[in-house]
Amino acid sequence: MILELGAEALEFGRSSWRAIQAAGGDELVRAVESDPSRRSQLGESVLGPLGAFDIDPWGSPEELEAAAALCRSVGYWGVPYPVEARLGRPRGGRFDALVVVAEAAPAAAGAGLRLRWAAAGLDGVLYSATPRAGGDQPRRSAFVCPLALEAVGTAQPLEVALALVLPCWTLLGMLDRAVALAGQHVLGRRQFDQPLASFQGVQFQLTEAEVERLGVEELAKYALWSLQTGRPEAVDDALALRLAAIEAAETVFRVAHQLHGAIGFCDETPLSWLSRYSVPIRRLPLGASATRSELTARIGGRGLTGLYSPPASP
Amino acid sequence: MGAQVADLRARLRELVRSEVPEGYLGAFSDDPADLEVAQRFCRTLADEQLLCVAWPPEWGGRGASPWEQTAVREEMWAHHEPRGAQYMGVNWVGPTIMRHGTAEQQSRHLPGIARGEVIWCQGFSEPDAGSDLASLRTAARRDGEVWRVSGQKIWTSYATVAQWCFLLARTSSEEKKQRGLTIFLVPMSAPGIVVRPIQTMLGPHHLNEVFFDDVAVPDADVLGGVGDGWNVVQEVLSFERVGIARYARCERLLQWAPVVLAERWAGLGEDLRGRWARMLVHARRARLLAYRVVDTQSRGQVRPADAAAYRIAVTRLDQESAEVLVEIAGSVAPDTPEARRFCRAVEDHCRYSAAATVASGSVEMQRILMSRSLLAPR
Repeated sequence: MILELGAEALEFGRSSWRAIQAAGGDELVRAVESDPSRRSQLGESVLGPLGAFDIDPWGSPEELEAAAALCRSVGYWGVPYPVEARLGRPRGGRFDALVVVAEAAPAAAGAGLRLRWAAAGLDGVLYSATPRAGGDQPRRSAFVCPLALEAVGTAQPLEVALALVLPCWTLLGMLDRAVALAGQHVLGRRQFDQPLASFQGVQFQLTEAEVERLGVEELAKYALWSLQTGRPEAVDDALALRLAAIEAAETVFRVAHQLHGAIGFCDETPLSWLSRYSVPIRRLPLGASATRSELTARIGGRGLTGLYSPPASP
Repeated sequence: MGAQVADLRARLRELVRSEVPEGYLGAFSDDPADLEVAQRFCRTLADEQLLCVAWPPEWGGRGASPWEQTAVREEMWAHHEPRGAQYMGVNWVGPTIMRHGTAEQQSRHLPGIARGEVIWCQGFSEPDAGSDLASLRTAARRDGEVWRVSGQKIWTSYATVAQWCFLLARTSSEEKKQRGLTIFLVPMSAPGIVVRPIQTMLGPHHLNEVFFDDVAVPDADVLGGVGDGWNVVQEVLSFERVGIARYARCERLLQWAPVVLAERWAGLGEDLRGRWARMLVHARRARLLAYRVVDTQSRGQVRPADAAAYRIAVTRLDQESAEVLVEIAGSVAPDTPEARRFCRAVEDHCRYSAAATVASGSVEMQRILMSRSLLAPR
């Protein structure tokens, strides 16, 4: 079980974080939203030089952890680029990116990128996917667009699991940032001649968010370990993580917005951008209720592997 | 973790299967035989150095790692704590005496705890000193060669069966209320001690009020220095940093439900099965948050906010899983012994979990602790 990412992965995560900050940090999402044609440059000019696309998550446990650490840094800055989809691309070189989709309404944050997209259903069908016109402006859509699918084969369960897990690492980075922003805001903002942070009502809300964030961090490491070790229940573990991550995001962003007050909805605050760009990850391929249904159906009466249940059969 | 922990876990499960009756719900039921089961089980554990597994070998332990201790906590709590009251002596009374006790106190108390023969109770909380423990008023005044203790303790688990009390009392009035507190090791047979059981909704009682009326305690029964009580208590609390492995019982009961319902499981509503699956996710989450604390501890570090986060998560799990389990139990026909055992265990869990956010430090105190860390100047 992974209790902490390896030192190399942690260092890669930190250096990525610094590089993204140096490349513009919070400004990146603003710049790309105002000029969507710059989106594809993010990959080439910011993430490429980091070696992001040289990482092969299937190559070694260290590379898988590095991929997770990179997603977390990308999430922290709300970089509007589907790095998790690119890192999770299927093996074989036929595609540049992989997303898990709900076949009834396939969609991904794929607008404005010239990539060879693949999509996988939770049932394991692999599709070639083509982003279709018809998405809203980025300000409303966060670059989500519908996908046209053409079945081309089968996605391995571990590929599906990876494509579910990496976006949760991106979302975790967003939760890291939202909790940090809320903490900074309540320390700096004064009302009734004292910092908001001195009110217990404020403190308790922040702890609520932090417990959720920490829980996602631990489940994310667990799901990564499940992948690393090729466990037959890796998709169950990925869905368990996803369910907890979506619920955590609901709490964290609700608390962060509430503690920011009206300023948190204004585009001058990073929270406003982060909050909007977290929505596609929370909504796609399935929201909380549908993710729970999927997990419930998959585990049946066997439950999740743990102290009192046997591992799933291969 | 690893093979050593897995072996230990397997051995504990074997012992539970062979020594603890099926359907056992803890030592403190209406049936005195249940306490006897616990006492016998403790002696069995002690014979294999499993009772005080974390203690050094010279005091009857195995010097177990934090991960082995975690496995013991999990297996015992999952099986309704068949050690009865002993966890208190084992987990912190003994270690505190090892660290602060005189040679005479160590040789007097430690062997009995290691053999599972002595039950301790904890004299901390008072009617007006709960979360604000330092406000306690039970006083000990010097009277020649002895101390005279008077006052009232409350919520004292196991006081009716305990032979000794780990008592915190005020020995002087200082401006800062944390000063002037002292620990006494008091025999419960001392004249002047009266115990009154408190009936609660939580199940068969093990909570009590304890009244001290001019109880004479010799100097030799002071633990640590006079006036050092608060520091000792802080250390005691650090021994209990991870706290009860509540997630283990939750997970065991949740995983038991589909086994009991068998072919009727699929007939439960989808929503209820979904809530059950969600609780399994939350049980895993709480377990991993506990492991986060244990991992830090095993590297010799302490992050109190992580321990607080775990406690917040696990106590909520305890209560929310109880709600889901009660609903599931409503669909169980009690027509087999296993079904009846399941329903009784769920009913017990439901009542006991109500106190999870209050016992051993309220959830509000955990939030205060956590917010101090979150909002500390960096």
